[in-house]
Amino acid sequence: MVLEATMICIDNSEWMRNGDYSPSRLRAQADAVSLICGAKTQSNPENTVGILTMGGKGVRVLTTPTTDLGKILACMHELDIGGEMNIAAGIQVAQLALKHRQNKNQRQRIIVFAGSPVKYDRKVMEMIGKKLKKNSVAIDIVNFGEDDDGKPEKLEALLAAVNNNDSSHLVHVPTGPNALSDVLISSPVFTADGEGGSGFAAAAAAAAAGGVSDFDFGVDPNIDPELALALRVSMEEERARQEAAAKRAADEASRQGKEEEPLSNSQDATMTDNTNNTAAETTEKTADPMDEEKSLLERAFAMSMGTSVSDTSMADADTSKATDEDKELALALQMSMQDDTKDPSNQSDMSKVLGDQSFVSSILTSLPGVDPNDPSVKDLIASLQGQPEKKKEDEPPKDDK
Amino acid sequence: GYREDEGLYLESDADEQLLIYLPFTQVVKLHSIVVKGPEEEGPKTVKLFSNREHMGFSNVNDFPPSDTAVLTPDNLKGKPVVLKFVKFQNVRSLTIFIEDNQSDSEVTKVNKIALFGTTVETTDMKGLKKIEDNH
Repeated sequence: MVLEATMICIDNSEWMRNGDYSPSRLRAQADAVSLICGAKTQSNPENTVGILTMGGKGVRVLTTPTTDLGKILACMHELDIGGEMNIAAGIQVAQLALKHRQNKNQRQRIIVFAGSPVKYDRKVMEMIGKKLKKNSVAIDIVNFGEDDDGKPEKLEALLAAVNNNDSSHLVHVPTGPNALSDVLISSPVFTADGEGGSGFAAAAAAAAAGGVSDFDFGVDPNIDPELALALRVSMEEERARQEAAAKRAADEASRQGKEEEPLSNSQDATMTDNTNNTAAETTEKTADPMDEEKSLLERAFAMSMGTSVSDTSMADADTSKATDEDKELALALQMSMQDDTKDPSNQSDMSKVLGDQSFVSSILTSLPGVDPNDPSVKDLIASLQGQPEKKKEDEPPKDDK
Repeated sequence: GYREDEGLYLESDADEQLLIYLPFTQVVKLHSIVVKGPEEEGPKTVKLFSNREHMGFSNVNDFPPSDTAVLTPDNLKGKPVVLKFVKFQNVRSLTIFIEDNQSDSEVTKVNKIALFGTTVETTDMKGLKKIEDNH
């Protein structure tokens, strides 16, 4: 609940056209900025946030620190890309804007999105940091995008010069499937806000990332028992629906005995259909060089059995994002269910699919370099058929919590 | 006690400047000031601002100081600096800005700051009550 005025420095240089953070680096920044503004305002209604851009023709202040979220979001829409980022000038202008804030009781904070290379040298960054520290301005640096040599060291030097009692932070966001905002939510940029902000952040995290949380559905009984109950009930219904769909798909697949069938089914049927997704993943994975394909085949089958849950859930996350955003919540629920209890019905589906000899051999024949008559491959299939049965026995006793 | 201990000092952090804010519990008049420090890193130029709240390093140069003192090594040993009394007649808070030090080093050290002056005449509440009782 700390009373704070924040200036956010956005990088809108040419480097931000890059799409390695979806949809583009600039839009990823805009999303992160909206989340930050929301969190700051929620943790303390008197907090103010302002925006400036560092690229373009020069540093430009879009809004001075204000409590009006609408104004800030409106500015985010008008961002255009161009020029080079001038980080030193950006920070100095931010400091000036904070100096002239209306409420002198507010602490001062600058959040910098450093996406393009830093052309200033360490000395300059340290001087800037010292000035900030002297005027008791805290800074949060988000290092993403371009990663030329020297950039992390320069940013670390800046952080070291400014840091006073751990009030300043440096966050590295690597490229990858996780969005910029999601990584930031779990970083000190958000969690340093205190309890109010982190509540907002936790809700946002559950909705967006659909990811790992200690509770079943990211909410649960401590905070909201009714919501937890409703989520659990809808989870059950969803699972029942999935089982029916999976059974239908598996039957069709085994009847046709073609490789394309499960793939198209995984796209038509619910995207949260675990078995079909992992079957598709299996075939993708085993299309590898012939030398390693045996070990890869084993690993793929092990994964499709659901032993390594994180990989499958990653695949799930990818497909769901690619296809339908509305189903994300259902996917999140299902994945977090997976963390606790292995779904026995899925196992039985998997064993049915694998048990169908013709289906399995048809997959194997279509793969390059795999000979189904190879004794080692035959042994593998036989052992795998034995495995699902054993797993099913293990599941029911574990399920009775 | 340890008030005069030379080992205890105030040290500047990011650079050599120091900004000290002293709010008083009542209104005072200031006559003189003593600033003690080590010979090398002790303060040199000291600016005093009366009745200015919320000063920061960024706005020290925005208004003129009520008084400025350049300290000599004698001052650093304890010799008082006499202030412009007329400027310090009605002081609620004092801001002391130490701009640089004797040897222009990165760090400024201060051992002791003492203020000499008087309180401003205020109403004696006890006296008031007694008069009322006699009515």
